[in-house]
Amino acid sequence: MSSSLRRTTSISKTIAPALTHLKTLIQPYSATAVALESSTSTAYNEEEPGAISMKGVKISGRPLYLDMQATSPVDPRVLDAMLPYFVSHYGNPHSRTHLYGWESEQAVERAREQVAASINASPKEIVFTSGATESNNISVKGFMRFHKESKRHVITTQTEHKCVLDSCRHLQQQGFDVTYLPVGSDGLVKLSDLEAAIRPDTGLVSIMTVNNEIGVVQPMAEIGQICKKHGIVLHTDAAQALGKIPVDVQEIGVGLMSLSAHKIYGPKGVGALYIRRRPRVRVEPQMSGGGQERGLRSGTVPTPLAVGMGAACEVAVKEMEYDSKHVQVLQQRLLNGIRSRLDGVVINGSEEHRYWGNLNLSFAYVEGESLLMGLKEVAVSSGSACTSASLEPSYVLRALGVDEDMAHTSIRFGMGRFTTEEEIDRAVELTVNQVEKLREMSPLYEMVKDGIDIKSIQWAQH
Amino acid sequence: MSSPSRTEILGLFRSLLKTARKFPDYNIREYMKRRTIDGFRQNSKLTDAPSVSSAFLDANSQLEVAKRQAVVYTLYAPPIKSVMEIKSTS
Repeated sequence: MSSSLRRTTSISKTIAPALTHLKTLIQPYSATAVALESSTSTAYNEEEPGAISMKGVKISGRPLYLDMQATSPVDPRVLDAMLPYFVSHYGNPHSRTHLYGWESEQAVERAREQVAASINASPKEIVFTSGATESNNISVKGFMRFHKESKRHVITTQTEHKCVLDSCRHLQQQGFDVTYLPVGSDGLVKLSDLEAAIRPDTGLVSIMTVNNEIGVVQPMAEIGQICKKHGIVLHTDAAQALGKIPVDVQEIGVGLMSLSAHKIYGPKGVGALYIRRRPRVRVEPQMSGGGQERGLRSGTVPTPLAVGMGAACEVAVKEMEYDSKHVQVLQQRLLNGIRSRLDGVVINGSEEHRYWGNLNLSFAYVEGESLLMGLKEVAVSSGSACTSASLEPSYVLRALGVDEDMAHTSIRFGMGRFTTEEEIDRAVELTVNQVEKLREMSPLYEMVKDGIDIKSIQWAQH
Repeated sequence: MSSPSRTEILGLFRSLLKTARKFPDYNIREYMKRRTIDGFRQNSKLTDAPSVSSAFLDANSQLEVAKRQAVVYTLYAPPIKSVMEIKSTS
């Protein structure tokens, strides 16, 4: 970090309470701050001071956050690194003629080194993008378009993130062939399927390291070996894996890797793409412009966001061992807590090959939407944020072979660095209560308890 | 640089926990308390002077970061607290 920044090293006891008092006096200037003030004030219920009423739901406080796969809170250490670049060091890193540009560029290059160090790459192989979605687009569409004369085939899996699947569909419309590998009921891709799908004109294999919906970890080292043997470039979406499990580009042998900042306690709106230099991987840029980022991604690099991503990567590497032990304890607590009081609970995805912080459970004989409606004090999601707009059960669970009714009742608990054991206990309490309440009302559950096999019932047709 | 004394280390430990209490956010506060306790417990096993000094300096710089961020988080604290901080009625 630049040592030329002047910082007040001791915040005296008199300043902090005075600032708190000031906060209540200062009128917000910006329009968004005013909108925020007015929206939260109208959300207050007149009868119960301190309650939030939004979208027809009333809750007494801010829900406890168990949706770490959707996004994660920004770590205070990351915010601390970013703030100077919003406040005083606001230069454009591509301005070559003045101090503002020089110090901004220095910060971006430092962030690049931090990101590269976290995956054992060289800083020259890191390109900053707007997020893992953009990195995935460049990897799939950009790579295949560059090699369109010689390579016409892409291999991916059915459980990939929507941006990879959509990019592949776009390529199909342009005349490329795409193979979507099936996965087993444990969510893992079979290596024999991968080998069998490889053709002479296969250019790219894209398989995500850790799945965002079910938390399953794919055997990346073995997949990398197969790709190396056939001379095919491997791309992996490591957005959910970075900082949680060890990620080493040399060990896996990937040619392209997508990274995201807001999954590792960094800011939203920034990500990175790792592009191997030896042997060189070439992609066609998707953003045209002034040739920034070695001509691969034009556009001003957002200095504060890039600095935030670098800081987040550095903190993540330092804290990885401690965080993963903590998250493992939390998962065991959650699983034991729920399983000791409920039956008919199924874990979606392999139990051994998973990241501890992602637990996707299905509760039998319970309707999913009503379960979620009763869990308003816990912020969880069913399936992934990308697909929750439609009423369809998640395509990932469908690829696992999960029955429709079980897919509808799936809940994804996402735990992370800042989750506490008390929050897990409260989440267990709320979930178990809600499931028991719903099952009590369910005639299906009554029939199951009486020993009737539901699948053998002939439902009367009127 | 000479090794920090036991008093200095304990003083730093207390400052970190005191700063943790200043965060209005439930999760950050609990994390900082837990991390400080676990970190000092783990580093108590260190014996050689250079690593003790570097751990002390690292913790000191983290304290500075935490002091600044406690102010920022207080300025932007949401008016409604987390459900974990509100006495449960059920």
